[in-house]
Amino acid sequence: MNESTSNLTLPISGMTCASCVSHVEGALKELPGVDHVIVNLATNKANLVYDPKQAGLADMQRAIEDVGYSVPTTELTLDVRGMTCASCVAHVENALKELHGVKEAVVNLGLGTARVTYIPGLITTSTMKRAVREVGYEASERSEGADALDRERQAREEEIKRQGRNLIIAGAIGLIVMIGTFYEMLGPLKAFVPEFLSYKWVIGLLTTPIVFGPGRQFFTNSWRGLRHGVTDMNLLYATGIGAAYGIAVINTLFPKAGFGGEGATFFESAALLTAFIILGRWLEALTRGRTSEAIRKLMKLQPKIARIVRDGKEEEIPADEVEIGDLILVRPGEGIPVDGAVAEGYSAVDESMLTGESLPVEKKAGDNVIGGTLNKTGAFKFTATRVGKDTALAQIIKLVEDAQASKAPIQKLADWVAGHFILGVHMLAVLVFIFWFFFGYQLFFDPNSRFILSPYSLGEIGVFGFSLLLSVTVLVISCPCAVGLATPSAMMAGTGKAAQHGVLFKGAEAIENTSKLQTIVFDKTGTLTKGEPSVTDVVINDQLVVISKSDHWILNTDHLLHLAAIAEKNSEHPLGEAIVLGAEARGLVIGEAERFNSIPGHGVEAQVAGSAVLLGNRKLMRERHVDFTLLMAKAEALEADGKTVMFVAIGGQAAGLIAVADTLKEYTIEAIQRLHKLGLETAMITGDNRRTAEAIARQVGIDRVHAEVLPQDKAEEVKKLQALGKKVTMVGDGVNDAPALAQADVGMAIGSGTDVAKETGDVILIKDDIRDVVVALEVAKATMRKVKQNLFWAFIYNGLGIPLGAGLFYPFISLIISPELAGLLMAISSITVTLNTLLLKGFKPTIRRDGRPQRGAGESKSRFSPVAASSD
Amino acid sequence: MEYKRLEKEVARRSALIYLPVSFGAAILFYLAASLGGGYPPVARFGGMIWVGLLSLIVSMPIITSRVKRQARGQ
Repeated sequence: MNESTSNLTLPISGMTCASCVSHVEGALKELPGVDHVIVNLATNKANLVYDPKQAGLADMQRAIEDVGYSVPTTELTLDVRGMTCASCVAHVENALKELHGVKEAVVNLGLGTARVTYIPGLITTSTMKRAVREVGYEASERSEGADALDRERQAREEEIKRQGRNLIIAGAIGLIVMIGTFYEMLGPLKAFVPEFLSYKWVIGLLTTPIVFGPGRQFFTNSWRGLRHGVTDMNLLYATGIGAAYGIAVINTLFPKAGFGGEGATFFESAALLTAFIILGRWLEALTRGRTSEAIRKLMKLQPKIARIVRDGKEEEIPADEVEIGDLILVRPGEGIPVDGAVAEGYSAVDESMLTGESLPVEKKAGDNVIGGTLNKTGAFKFTATRVGKDTALAQIIKLVEDAQASKAPIQKLADWVAGHFILGVHMLAVLVFIFWFFFGYQLFFDPNSRFILSPYSLGEIGVFGFSLLLSVTVLVISCPCAVGLATPSAMMAGTGKAAQHGVLFKGAEAIENTSKLQTIVFDKTGTLTKGEPSVTDVVINDQLVVISKSDHWILNTDHLLHLAAIAEKNSEHPLGEAIVLGAEARGLVIGEAERFNSIPGHGVEAQVAGSAVLLGNRKLMRERHVDFTLLMAKAEALEADGKTVMFVAIGGQAAGLIAVADTLKEYTIEAIQRLHKLGLETAMITGDNRRTAEAIARQVGIDRVHAEVLPQDKAEEVKKLQALGKKVTMVGDGVNDAPALAQADVGMAIGSGTDVAKETGDVILIKDDIRDVVVALEVAKATMRKVKQNLFWAFIYNGLGIPLGAGLFYPFISLIISPELAGLLMAISSITVTLNTLLLKGFKPTIRRDGRPQRGAGESKSRFSPVAASSD
Repeated sequence: MEYKRLEKEVARRSALIYLPVSFGAAILFYLAASLGGGYPPVARFGGMIWVGLLSLIVSMPIITSRVKRQARGQ
């Protein structure tokens, strides 16, 4: 996107299938200045990049409406205080109308209200209120106004209700029509059914309200599209239902007309076809919303009220009106309204909803808290640091929404196929009609032939009726609804599921690419390791007896570390700091040295409790003639493990060794083991020397090491792996590794915390837990598995259904598929796909499935506190 | 405004093509059915309408999008 272009996400209503997607995309792409459009059927949203100077919102709306769809708008009433005259009305109206996303604003001076018609998602109520405030008035939302989430749910519920109502009408009357049609076959049950229900004209009368009541939507929608030269699923349904009903009416009113006579009054076809299609629509509306449940759950996390403390008094205000710097009080069991830093108090906060971390996190003064998380135990006050769209929760929601609005490469192909499918099906319907009209009927028609799964005989149906029946069945059975839903529904469920576990995919393409990865490349420092040196080993010369002025004792590891820490206390060298921290971690109190002298480039010397302590490298000891022959083998072994060894002499004698190294993160080993279990190759890139790098790699189990690589050359190393034909992901901190993350097929930024908007990379791992790489891979693989299963079911259905519908097997079996059965199969295919996707809801990454974190497996022996001790 | 005018012009020019095309397909079907012999008038007329309708559905979006592309090119 360049500077002159903008990004926009528009909600669209009226789309039912993949062909609708291509129509809307086509209409928007034709607008001048619009150069990138992605329409998502599952989210009913269009994401576009456009030049605001060339195309406006009104042009886009018009283009969408011209192809038969609409941009839904919603209304909001604001209470406006402070207006006194007509000019106030104009001020407020103009202030609102100027906002991007507002279509209309009508201010009523008498009532003190502003009725705003706007496009949801493009503007928030707080922006409107701010705009009104900026021109000098006070504004607040009327309490009856529902928020965006409620409105979305409301719209979905209305659609479910509408289709449910249609289904009850079509289903109930359709059942009566079916009973009447098969009256003669009811046997003893005939006694319970009035005979008049079997009269053709009665069945016709019963079918008519189904076709023109619940079925009317297909005719009106297809006509709307046809007027603008577009064809969609509704046209398939309309032609199917219309043709079945038309023939039935003609054959009832004019049995001699030659369409098959009374034996071919397929009223039940029209009635049940309508009922089954509506059943499909109803189930789809019911289940489609559930695939996006995760994002809804995230949205629900946002508390609506914040309790701020002003001038020592508590005051409850809407959470979206909290400003940076406000002091907010949170009591046990309450949600945290915005992001901030704890000012006073202590508590444990459940952050699992955002980070996936199962254990509550302790919070004390100075710690950061995240809006949307839940305070568990204590009360505390915090200062708001990020509000509105800048909060972590808002960023995460935006990221997940953007990902759900994007398209995976596999989906682009499916959409292309589905988009061209309708035309292909109509062409096929012409060919099927022509074949059976001119050749098939004469060659193969058998008056005793029947419909599949029906005792109903085709009777004396004429050539036109028979050919039309097969042609209509092809139209109905070919509906590619399932193809259109297969990918986006799985992507929505997958991105939502990942977000629940603290893994954010920046797009559908990232999921698809992650599922194909072969090599996982880790940056070493800060990713595999903590990035700070710490004491790993303390080795003592157990033959040494220390004699000080006042005492003498046999040296142990704690004594050695204690003396070394006191000697290093005033040192600013990172290795010295590591020794001091190591001693403190063991509970040792670090006193002051009596005398301290730094020897630059070599070490330190100090006088501690009367003993002369010398601490430094091998060269220093050689210069001071301290003999370390006894400990040299151990020193070399430690160095071979990539550790830095410090030599300690007390009173001029070799006292011991202290090894310092960058330590592994808690779960590094476990993560690498799990990656290997998934059959993936692991690699490490580091600027460290080869010996250190290889030592770490050995300890962790990394397969491939790229050592002594300068930061700017990391991307080059990734490129080399890609040149070997591998699909590579780079896992790094997202800031220093940006070029390598960008070069990799998938860049994973780890440990970003919750400031996700700033992160580079295709996948963001919120927690600093390397096992989330495994979570990302598992979720991506599970999602793509669902996509492939869905596409398989969708295509296999059409692949088998179309030849069956076209009568390919009729010459051999004398059976054809009825339009209503075709309608039922079509509904089943969509439902199969959606239900299959819903199975993802039960997906759990293996690290969660295995219960509590396996500290033992991942814990390195080089963790900070349990320093390995040995004596020689 | 320019966009709307262009759309109208495209619709008019497209209709001048797809209507004759589908009408032609329907007539062709009728002639074939009549010359083939043995088909009752209802079948011939019914078939003609069905083929004409499907031809219209097929040709309309193809021709409209082609005409649109041409118009944009101009």
